[in-house]
Amino acid sequence: MQYSPTLIDHFRNPRNAGVMREPDGVGEEEFTECMDLARFYLRVRDGRVEEARFQAYGCGPTLAACSAGTEIAAGFTLEDLATVPPARIEAAVGGLPPERRHAALVVAGALRAAARDALARNGRG
Amino acid sequence: MNRRVYLDHNASTPVHPEVLQAMLPYFSERFGNPSSVHGFGRESREGIDTAREQIAAFLKVSKDEIVFTSGGTESDNLGIKGVAAARRTGHIITSQIEHHAVLRTVQTLEQEGFTATYLPVDGDGMVSPDDVRTALRPDTIVVSLMGANSEVGTLQPIREVGRITREAGVPLHVDGVQTFGKVPIDVEASGIDLLSFSGHKIYGPKGVAGLYIRKGTKMASIQHGGEHERRRRAGTENVAGIVGLGKAVEIRAREMGEEATRLTALRDRLWQGVRDGVDEVRLNGHATQRLPGTCNMCFRNVESESIVLGLDLKGIGVSAGSACTSGNVEPSYVLVAMGIPLDWAMGSVRSSLGHATSTEDIDYVIESIVPLVAKLRTQSPVGAGRP
Repeated sequence: MQYSPTLIDHFRNPRNAGVMREPDGVGEEEFTECMDLARFYLRVRDGRVEEARFQAYGCGPTLAACSAGTEIAAGFTLEDLATVPPARIEAAVGGLPPERRHAALVVAGALRAAARDALARNGRG
Repeated sequence: MNRRVYLDHNASTPVHPEVLQAMLPYFSERFGNPSSVHGFGRESREGIDTAREQIAAFLKVSKDEIVFTSGGTESDNLGIKGVAAARRTGHIITSQIEHHAVLRTVQTLEQEGFTATYLPVDGDGMVSPDDVRTALRPDTIVVSLMGANSEVGTLQPIREVGRITREAGVPLHVDGVQTFGKVPIDVEASGIDLLSFSGHKIYGPKGVAGLYIRKGTKMASIQHGGEHERRRRAGTENVAGIVGLGKAVEIRAREMGEEATRLTALRDRLWQGVRDGVDEVRLNGHATQRLPGTCNMCFRNVESESIVLGLDLKGIGVSAGSACTSGNVEPSYVLVAMGIPLDWAMGSVRSSLGHATSTEDIDYVIESIVPLVAKLRTQSPVGAGRP
């Protein structure tokens, strides 16, 4: 399986891995076909994501896509993050082989869920 | 530059330099068709004859009982379908953890009207000889069992099964692709009637293999054409490959015993090193009745492909027990049959050691895998990483 240098870098040096204490939003997505699970924690200020952290169970591309997902999320408004498309995640890891596209699906799904949770907590969901 | 450590010898092995040297003349110097009567053909034929003698000597059988094929898969197909074609109807016994070359062959025969029993295995991946005895029926035409499982390395009790099948007068086919040239095989004492073996698992070339067929075994050919291989397998022989297979077998006869001792120690060193450094890890397969170089471990709540990728980035080649294809992951059917829970089975990694594996390689793998698993677990929302 050939992966992009960007994906390999995120896998080797994951950004923002691990739990966040007292987050403003939490969301997760499971890709049941392959049992991958991604969970994102968001710290929000003035309606924008200030910091995102992740935990994930899955193959290398999913872990790398989570790392990239935390970088994408930072600076996003919650409304925009609530609709973030998988293609945005895939681009952020330099592309995915067709049989690993589920990595982008599970990460985008978890980020959207975290954003919706944060909006709901703010009474805007 | 990372160190490079290849621990996937159950998948394939590098061609031994002596094997390569033996093969080279058969590409452009001794290139004749071995079926031709002229000198060019005779030169090729001699290469095949020598290889057949080398293999027959290794197995202590007659050279007429060796048939060359294109691979372990073809050998398995020929062994099982060959018996089935001669009988036309009947019952086949095999196990749930066979290689797909056997499982899918038997499943195909089921679609053609044969019946089959797929025997379970115990927690170590071993078939019970008593289960074989119980499954035997008056219409059973063949029992097909692997010598050792490629994933977990458990050696099957072939000798005990062979006693039972011989007593019942049922041919025993053994898929010996993982055992041939690694551990001693006594076809006579084990009551083996058909034995599949392959070149590229024992430092020979890919695309060549063989099937031992005990004289008198009722068989029909499944590939039709010329008179090759005493009409048992039509098709011009892969001469260079066959020469390489013969040479590889000759080398294994010389090196197998000592290497088995060395690899067993290294395999155990790997397991002990990982066990000492990682929580929630288990060894799969039988503790002792196992291939010398095979170490299959499950890391709970870590996905095996992420371990394989992490080790790959360190220059280490191992294989994942669960394979993700098109976004669909199935845990290994072998581990499932052994009753290993899903949260463990999804994190299985097989290391299979070989001729070039050194103590330093094993220590490097331990040094790499311990922090890798710890890192993956800190990222994980399940198990140890749960907030």
